[in-house]
Amino acid sequence: MHITVLAKVVPDYEVPTADFELTDGRAHSRYTRMIGLYDENAIETGVQLKEAYGATLTIISYGKTQDVTVLRKAIAMGGDALHLVLGDADDPFVIAANLKMAIEQLGNVDLVLAGQQSADMDRGVVHSILAGMLDYPFLPQISTIKSEDGRWMVAQAHENGIRRLEFSGKGVLSITSSPKNVPRIPAVRSILAAKKKPVEKIDGIPGTPMPVAELSVEIPKMESVCEFLPLDDMAQTCKILLSKLREERYL
Amino acid sequence: MRIPYWNISYGILIDTVALVAVIVFVFGLHGHWKRIRLGKVRIRSANVDHPGKIGPVFVYSLLKNGILGAKLYKKIFTGIAHGFLFWGMLVLALGTSLVVLNLLFGLPVFEGIFNRWFMSFFLDLAGLLALFGLLFFLVRRWFPPERLITPRERTGFGVQIGLLAAVIVTGFLVEAIRIASTGPDPFSFVGNFMAGWLPADALSVHRIFWWSHGLLCMAFIAYIPYSPMMHMVLVPTNTALADPRPGSKMGVIDFSSFDNDDDEEGAAEEMPTLGCSSLADFTRKRLLDFAACLWCGRCHEVCPAAITKKPLSPKGVMVTLAERLAAGEVEDATLIDDITEDAIFACTTCTACLEACPACINQPKTILKFRQNLVMEQSRIPELMAKAINSLEQRAHPFFGTGSGPKDWCKDLEVPLFATGETEYLLWIGCSVTYEERAQKIARAMVRILESAGVSYGILEESRCTGDPAKQMGNEFMFTELAQTNIDEFNELGVKKIITLCPHCYNSFDRHYPLLGGNYEVIPHSVFINRLISNDKLVLKNSLERICYHDPCYLGRRNLFFDEPREVIRKVGQLVEMPRSGAESFCCGGGGGNYWAEEVGDRINQVRSKEALDTGADRIATACPFCLLMLTDGAKKFTEEQKTFDIAELVAERLT
Ligand code: SF4
Ligand code: SF4
Repeated sequence: MHITVLAKVVPDYEVPTADFELTDGRAHSRYTRMIGLYDENAIETGVQLKEAYGATLTIISYGKTQDVTVLRKAIAMGGDALHLVLGDADDPFVIAANLKMAIEQLGNVDLVLAGQQSADMDRGVVHSILAGMLDYPFLPQISTIKSEDGRWMVAQAHENGIRRLEFSGKGVLSITSSPKNVPRIPAVRSILAAKKKPVEKIDGIPGTPMPVAELSVEIPKMESVCEFLPLDDMAQTCKILLSKLREERYL
Repeated sequence: MRIPYWNISYGILIDTVALVAVIVFVFGLHGHWKRIRLGKVRIRSANVDHPGKIGPVFVYSLLKNGILGAKLYKKIFTGIAHGFLFWGMLVLALGTSLVVLNLLFGLPVFEGIFNRWFMSFFLDLAGLLALFGLLFFLVRRWFPPERLITPRERTGFGVQIGLLAAVIVTGFLVEAIRIASTGPDPFSFVGNFMAGWLPADALSVHRIFWWSHGLLCMAFIAYIPYSPMMHMVLVPTNTALADPRPGSKMGVIDFSSFDNDDDEEGAAEEMPTLGCSSLADFTRKRLLDFAACLWCGRCHEVCPAAITKKPLSPKGVMVTLAERLAAGEVEDATLIDDITEDAIFACTTCTACLEACPACINQPKTILKFRQNLVMEQSRIPELMAKAINSLEQRAHPFFGTGSGPKDWCKDLEVPLFATGETEYLLWIGCSVTYEERAQKIARAMVRILESAGVSYGILEESRCTGDPAKQMGNEFMFTELAQTNIDEFNELGVKKIITLCPHCYNSFDRHYPLLGGNYEVIPHSVFINRLISNDKLVLKNSLERICYHDPCYLGRRNLFFDEPREVIRKVGQLVEMPRSGAESFCCGGGGGNYWAEEVGDRINQVRSKEALDTGADRIATACPFCLLMLTDGAKKFTEEQKTFDIAELVAERLT
């Protein structure tokens, strides 16, 4: 069994809104770079599958050479190898084409896992495009995966509940966070060993971008307005608060 | 003059029995040593300079805690009873030794004033007091306080209590019969009294009692190493070798030797087990700790986790380890699961247990060693703590999901940056003050104070954590990485003096950074403010406000700053004390990474807030951002008002 996890290095996804700023339409370079939030859940899911079924786990990323130091965490968590496709395209089609190339080079991949969305602008479309290119089924928002009698049993987490699905063969799964796939803190000897693991760097391909042009990127300006409500009668104050929140369409 | 071995033939035979008793005793002692020797390194006391340390022995601690048993007197009745028994038996043993010396070398102990006062009066008094002591412990075994039976009670005292009582009673009977036969001995007041009650033919049983007394005595000595009475040897040994500096003294791990850059795969494999998962992973000193545990439960009684019904009992941990050690199960790695992960992570590292322990056992160190193993070897850590560690790794601070940016705390303030060669003090802001909105006010207040006093200070361009939360959560590796980054920056900037706003930062800089090559003069902000006031650099308006002070564990118990914050409070209001204060202070619940914990049981911060509010004080003051945040939250259960403040806020408010 061979599992790959797609992991992307993104700027800090927790920068407070008031502190967030753009340069050239992208998050400012001063923000710390890290593996995408859900990608870590996907890595954890991959590691658990590796532990349960003795699978091989390869981490594939598309990005720059300097991402390697960040991506080593995925190896420390339990990945067997790291393949980095070099490139800086932002177009989902180009990224998917590069990832497809890396997956096909591996040759024998059974499952492709990826975080349900990355943190930089949250488009969350690369994995579905990739599934289309690979001609694999695509299952979004998966929280658990099991293998039973050669079939994959997966749970799809929705806002209102859980849907259980099964399929056989290959597939691309986008992983959501669940209490079962909280990313582990890598053991120290794994961190030290990960530093020594070789990284396979693959030259990226140009691919065919989507015929779409980005005109601008804007982020809302944070404004804080403070209004004091009278507090003579608590029930009355609550009513005023509710009506104000409704007026401003917060509720 | 008294005649030794009066009415006894072949009395010297008892010395042969004594030899057998000593052999059995030494054999038992060797059994203990054999088990303790299974620990990782030779027993050696901490490598620290300490006044009165001779070789590996901390003499002052040995005398105070090992011989005088000073901590026992914190429970006054138990302390006195133990004192009666211990000193009583010691004096009796001394008396017996003098008799032997009299026999062997003719030492004139049965003559004159010495005979009257020591050999007669004192020995009777010692026997009587020892009996009282025994009676107290006997009654307490029948009606044990909660701490003795939680989570379980020690057995095996019965035989030794019975033997001791029999030794003393037969001793008195032998003396009484002798007096009844040879005439009154006015200074042997117990013997005289008992002689008056004896039947006329008592002399016929004198020899029986004499031999019984001697043989019981030898049985008692021989049985010591096989019974809980072994604490007579183990506790003084432990107190002599225990580093008496406050706190858990975790030290640091040098990971650089495991992280060399050679290309050989597997170099990291040479790394020893991190933390401890079985008894064999502990040092011999820790195994001595476990063997010396008295099962007295004093640690359990003061532990904030145990008090608030969390799954941790420091006594429970110690007795589990003691039992496993006694059974020789040193390689058993199921130990952690028996103690449970929940218990191990419930510790707030407040060291109240260590402070209370009469045997100077370092419980938090043992618990943290388990934590280190869980986190660094097994990747096991509660979810919220894992998120905090993850955030530390990603952003160099543990406050995941914070709504604050790194510069928010100094919005609208002109705060100078530390300038090499110009600035005297680095004002270290720390992560909690940077990223928690309520705590940001501490830094703003401190800036006002420093400006007002004309202090040369500056801050760093970038904010970072000291690494303390990682260390307390068991991730020593991450602590070392963060500490090294800070040390490199401090050394590059030429930082010499640091003012800290958080006692956790103080503790890291003062205790752990020097071990990694970072040596600075570090001053907690409460101490610095007190210094400014004493030097007339600050002029404050006093008030009649009643202010209750909560001692942060890492400032008070761990670093002994009890008076300075109190002096500051006296300058701005009227100091009020809680029932548990100073070295006996109760934790806020936020230490040991438990700021990031989903608490089970009662909430520690609410228990402590209630204790503070019950004093009737107008405000609660503290000198730690974590305490401030925990107590602010805890007090919300009881009052709508904002009652909790940092010492810097109170001072800044009252600047004239
Ligand atoms: S350090 Fe504090 S919380 Fe931890 S076991 Fe000791 S008393 Fe309990
Ligand atoms: S660790 Fe110390 S305080 Fe706790 S039960 Fe043992 S001897 Fe008593």
